Amino acid sequence: MLRALWPRGYLFTVLGIAVGMAGLVSLGAMAERITRFIDGGDRFVLGQISVAGEGMGMGTGFTAGGLLPAAKIAEIAHVPGVAAVQAQVMLPLSTTTSHFLTLTQELILGIDLSVPMPNRHYRALPVRAGRFLRPDDRRAVVVGADFAASRGLAVGGTLPLGSLPFTVIGVLDKTLTAPDRFAIVSIEDARDLWLRRDPLLVQVFGSGAGGLGRRDLNSGAAVGWAPGVDPDTLARRIQAEVRGVNVTIPGELSRLLRTSTAFFSALLFGIGALGLVIGGLSLSNTVTAAVFERIRDFGIKRALGATDLQLLGEVLGEALRVSVGGCAGGVALALALGFSVDARVFREGQQLFLFSPRLLLFALGFALLLGTLAAGYATLRIARLSPAEAIRRGS
Amino acid sequence: MLLRAVGLAKSYRGAGAEPIPVLRGVDLEVKAGEIAAIVGVSGSGKSTLLSVLGLLEPADGGEIWLDSERVSHLGRRAQARMRGARIGYVFQSFLLISRLTAWENVLLAARYVGRDRREAEQEALRLMERLDVLHRRGHYPAQLSGGEQQRVAFCRAVLNSPPLLLADEPAGNLDEDHARVILGEIRAQARERGTTVILVTHRAEAAAEADHVLRLQGGRLEPS
Repeated sequence: MLRALWPRGYLFTVLGIAVGMAGLVSLGAMAERITRFIDGGDRFVLGQISVAGEGMGMGTGFTAGGLLPAAKIAEIAHVPGVAAVQAQVMLPLSTTTSHFLTLTQELILGIDLSVPMPNRHYRALPVRAGRFLRPDDRRAVVVGADFAASRGLAVGGTLPLGSLPFTVIGVLDKTLTAPDRFAIVSIEDARDLWLRRDPLLVQVFGSGAGGLGRRDLNSGAAVGWAPGVDPDTLARRIQAEVRGVNVTIPGELSRLLRTSTAFFSALLFGIGALGLVIGGLSLSNTVTAAVFERIRDFGIKRALGATDLQLLGEVLGEALRVSVGGCAGGVALALALGFSVDARVFREGQQLFLFSPRLLLFALGFALLLGTLAAGYATLRIARLSPAEAIRRGS
Repeated sequence: MLLRAVGLAKSYRGAGAEPIPVLRGVDLEVKAGEIAAIVGVSGSGKSTLLSVLGLLEPADGGEIWLDSERVSHLGRRAQARMRGARIGYVFQSFLLISRLTAWENVLLAARYVGRDRREAEQEALRLMERLDVLHRRGHYPAQLSGGEQQRVAFCRAVLNSPPLLLADEPAGNLDEDHARVILGEIRAQARERGTTVILVTHRAEAAAEADHVLRLQGGRLEPS
C-alpha cells in the first residue's frame, strides 16, 4: 500500500523540499508569533476605553496620566452609553526598569473585582491552572504564562511582591500578548504595594489631604460600553462631559499602536517574503529538477503509447505526493527546531515560534500549488520533445 | 500488417550550421510476417530511420503507411495510441525504467492502451516464463544481467502483440548465447504471429534470417 503511494527514487527530492519548507514554516512561525503579539495588543485596546486622571502620572501600562479619584470614576459611570467602569492600578514589577517602557514589560495589575471585566475582548482571561481572582481574595495572585514560566511558579506557590508574600492561585493560559507577563492581584493589594513603594503617597492619602482616601488611589480605569454604542464616540463624550481626565480613544490608540509597531510589521513582511522565496524556490526548483531528471523515462513511456495528458496526470500525481511528503517533512523539521529553541528560551519566559493551524494549512497549500505548477511546467516542456529526442537527452 | 514508407527525409540541425541530411528519400515496403534487416555503417542513419518509422520522431518529408492508414500525418494523441497498440520496440540499450521492477516494466506497455490488467498480467506471466525471466520479476533493472534486461525489454515490446516490431541492434550488447535467444524470439514473432519486423543489425546471422536485407547508404535504402 505504502509502496504504491510512495514513488520510488524520490528520497532526495523529498528531503530537498523538506529543507525549503522547514525554512518557510520556521520563518512563518516567527512571523505568526509577532503578529499574534501585535494583534493581541490591538485587540485589547479596541476592547475597552482606558481613562486616567489628568496629568503625567506614572506612564505605566495601558493608561497614561495622573491619579483617577473615585469621584471621577463615579462620574464616568453616569455618562450615557457607559456599561461598566473598573478601577485599576498598574505598577511596574520592577521599579528600576519602570521608565523603560518596553513591549514586554512585566506589570502588576490590580483590578476592582467587584466590577465585571469591561473589556469586550477579554471578558475573562483564560486560566490554565487553578482559578481566577474572586472579590474577597487578598494576598492572592494570578500570573501570566510567561511570568510563571520565567520564575517556575505553579498554583500553590508563593510570589513575593514588594516584600509581601502572595499565594499563586492561578496561572493564565498563554495569550501571546501582554497578559502573559502580568501578575494580577486585587486592587486593594495593588494599592498596598503602591503605597509601600511611594512614601509620599502614604503621607498624602494617610492625612486625608484634599479629601483623598485609599479608594482614590487608582492609576486608571477600564470603561466598557453598552451594546450598540460606538466606543470612539463614547470616549469623546466622556472627555467632553467629565473634566480632569485623559481618555484614550480606542480607534486612535489602535492606530497609534499600529504606527509604533510599524517596524515589526515591516519586519514581519520581510520575514514572510523571505520564507516564501526560500521555500518557493527550493520546492519549485527541486520538483522541476526531479521531473527533468526523468526525461528519459518520459521518452520511454511515450514510446509505449502514453499521451501528453496521461504523462501530465502521472507527473502531477507524483509531484503532489512528493510535495506533500516534503511539506510534511519540512513541518516536522520546523516543529522540532521551533520546539527545541522555545524550550531553551522558555526559561526566560519567551516564545519565538507560533505554529498556528493557518500557517500549517498555508504551507501545505503553498507546497501543493507550487509543486503542481513546477511539475506542470516541466512536463509541458518535456512534452514538446519527440519520444526519441527525450530518450536521447535523458540517456 | 503492411508497412510502407515513401520518400522519407530527415535532417538534424547542427549547432549554428547547415542542416545535416540523414535520410534523403527512403522508400520501403515490408509485408506482414516478413523480416527486413537494415544494415549500414555507423552514423548512416539506421536508428533514425527506425525512430521515424516507429513514430518516435517526425520525418521532415515523406509518408508512412500502416496498412491503409497514413500514420505519419496523424496528430500527437493518435500517434501515441498507434505506438501503444500497434508498434513494439526493442532497443540496443534496453531502455528499461530503473525505478520499476522487471514485472512493472513489462506491464507498463499495457498501462497506456487501456488494456484489461488481469489479461495483461496473464500474458506477462506467460512471456516472462517463456523467456526465463519470471524468477527475476521483482528485481530492478540494475539487478539484472544484460541478457536478462533485454529479455525483459522484449517481453514489454511484444506484450500487446503489436503487428509491427522495430528492433534496433537488439543483440548489440549481448553475448552469443543471449543474442541467439533474442533473435530467435524475434524470428518467432514474424513466423508464428505474422508480425512485421524491421531489424537494424550488423550481425551477419541476424541479417541471414531476414527476408530482405537493405543497406542504408547516403540517406537511401538499397538492396544489399
